[in-house]
Amino acid sequence: MKGFKHLLMLIIIAFPILCTPISALAAEESSSSSTSASSTSQIASDDSLQKIKQKGTLVVGLSADYPPYEFTTKQNGKTKYVGFEVSLAQQFAKDLGVKLVIKNMNFDSLLVALETGKIDAIISGMNVTNERKKSVDFSNTYYSGDSYFLINKSDKDKLVNAKSFNGKTVGAQNGTLQSSLISKEMPQANGKGLAKLSSLVIGLQSHKYDGILMDAATAKAYAANNSNLYAFNSKLPNTAGGIAMAFPKGDTSLVNAANQTIKKVNDENLINKKWIPQASQYMKSYKKQNTVLSYWRYFAKGIEYTLIITVVSVFFGFILGTLFALMRLSNNKLLHSIAVCYIEFLRGTPMMVQIMFVYFGIGAIIQSLPALLAGIIAVSLNSGAYVAEIIRSGIQSIPLGQTEAARSLGMSKNETFHYVIMPQALKNIWPALGNELITLLKDSSLVSVIGVTELMYQTQLVQSATYKGVLPLFITMIIYFILTFTLSRILLYFEGRMKHAH
Amino acid sequence: MPTKMIEIKNLQKKFKDTIVLKDISEHVDKGQVICVIGPSGAGKSTFLRCLNALEKPSSGQVLFEGQELIGLNDKKLDQLREKMGMVFQGFNLFPNMTVLKNITIAPVKVKGIDEATAQKTALSLLDKVGLADKATQYPDQLSGGQKQRVAIARALAMNPEVMLFDEPTSALDPEMVDEVLKVMRDLAKSGMTMVVVTHEMGFAHEVADQIWFMADGYIQETGTPEEFFSHPTSPRAQDFLKKILK
Repeated sequence: MKGFKHLLMLIIIAFPILCTPISALAAEESSSSSTSASSTSQIASDDSLQKIKQKGTLVVGLSADYPPYEFTTKQNGKTKYVGFEVSLAQQFAKDLGVKLVIKNMNFDSLLVALETGKIDAIISGMNVTNERKKSVDFSNTYYSGDSYFLINKSDKDKLVNAKSFNGKTVGAQNGTLQSSLISKEMPQANGKGLAKLSSLVIGLQSHKYDGILMDAATAKAYAANNSNLYAFNSKLPNTAGGIAMAFPKGDTSLVNAANQTIKKVNDENLINKKWIPQASQYMKSYKKQNTVLSYWRYFAKGIEYTLIITVVSVFFGFILGTLFALMRLSNNKLLHSIAVCYIEFLRGTPMMVQIMFVYFGIGAIIQSLPALLAGIIAVSLNSGAYVAEIIRSGIQSIPLGQTEAARSLGMSKNETFHYVIMPQALKNIWPALGNELITLLKDSSLVSVIGVTELMYQTQLVQSATYKGVLPLFITMIIYFILTFTLSRILLYFEGRMKHAH
Repeated sequence: MPTKMIEIKNLQKKFKDTIVLKDISEHVDKGQVICVIGPSGAGKSTFLRCLNALEKPSSGQVLFEGQELIGLNDKKLDQLREKMGMVFQGFNLFPNMTVLKNITIAPVKVKGIDEATAQKTALSLLDKVGLADKATQYPDQLSGGQKQRVAIARALAMNPEVMLFDEPTSALDPEMVDEVLKVMRDLAKSGMTMVVVTHEMGFAHEVADQIWFMADGYIQETGTPEEFFSHPTSPRAQDFLKKILK
């Protein structure tokens, strides 16, 4: 009984902690909206440069599916980030005298990651716009390019300018300048956005899109690497002020340091002269041996992480589930209400939202919260709610007489639960728990949205690296099936053993 | 002067608006066998379950060896329950355990007796109830009468000072009633203090030291079996006996 009470206390204590990110986020918002407050803090507490130097690392966020800006290649089976912006980031880190750490994520997650302190800077082909200036500080620009259309070569004669896309479907990466260009300048076209540029290109090849609007360098790179694609200048007005690094508001000293690096790079014309040719070299060199199967290590790593997330989350999900099931069945009204709220809320909100909330929300307080841990926390919390209901049904399926018999023998509530109720309940709910386990294994794929290198995320990497859309998906599907099928066989084996013991 | 093992003072039990036990004051002496009889709905089972606080009385007192049960904390109550064995109408054996495990689990987990000693005791108890050969079987392989005898052995394994029986033969097929009653008879002979809620008038007549007749939430009258069965004083008891002895 005592141990149980302690656990309950822990939950009660932990609950407000889980709720705090909301207030923290609210506080952040209010401080950024009052400009006077933020400008004073700029002068008072701008030790951003000093902080970077102290921790010895520069964490740069980018969306590595944007050749030749930044993309992945493999070297000795390991993922390597390359591209001219990666070179720029390396140069910047070298100038600062710190180590470069690259975080690869969706382009539309970059700003949130910067605001919540997950990354120190964005170097990811980000155009300077007035809207973005409200939430970040930009460095000077180091590159500017027109927006190009990437189309299938077969459409070359039909699609010649922006107007010829009237009534057609045009794609752009979410959150980019090009996606707003489409909605502003091409009202007759049907604009559609996706988080990954690589997915868009796959969509283009399968004719889901008639064209994709992207920046010149990237469009040219794709066209150069795929003879079925063609790129041409959109001639759309370039409202942007070029591409620059983005920093958190108020990191003036860091911006100044970046400007020094950029000045040097611009003066020597390093980007056009040295880094873009280098990047093209990378693209060509791996194009030759670029088959999906040669990326088996990616899949292996993905399986490893998928299994880690599943096993750890099942463990904690089960503990949480047991706890909340007992709380829900408790006579204590407070514990009961907490459990009901928890279960209803976690079951009533999408897991993907929960994952992002844990990573960015709780991550705003605990800066060093790794994505893997955030993912595991979110999946465990979510699974706990479902397991709680399964266990509750299991406990309630055991006749009251069992409890009475145990208690009349002098067994405590805890002993009764542990030795009499739970073993019987477990047997009754085994198939339902198995369902939950398989669902959890599949749903762990959602953790890819925060950049955990599990199977789905790795699949996307392979997709963008090989420019192939369907085959990696097919392989991943088969892998998931093998995993879940093996799991269900194992569960069936134990179910049989429990029956046998009867 | 016999020692009072259980003393009940002004016991009352309500379920929402229904008053099941109205005002009961009685006591059980050490070594006594009490049979509680009466029409169904009289509150006999509720009364019995109040004695080991499976039901919490609404008011009044239940004292076990002078110790007040009501309002005890869980730990103290668990300790007292060890001394009060209980046998249920529906057996309530643990279906996930063998017969042997059913009997040893409480001594091992609650009293901390080592497994080997507990098994030895369990086997001798099984022998006593005539089921030594069933030790490795599971409850659903047993007949009703066998299950109830295991349940009695299970309660006895805790070495209780009093045994409470809640209609132990009511759920049994007629041909199995006797095997259970025999075990209970032997137990009474060995000097065990027993409170038995039962419809077996023959058993009550033969084994009980005292009959408590319950109806309408009261103990209407008490007396030796001879007094009660031949000269019931209360009209409710006369009415009841007339019906069942027809």
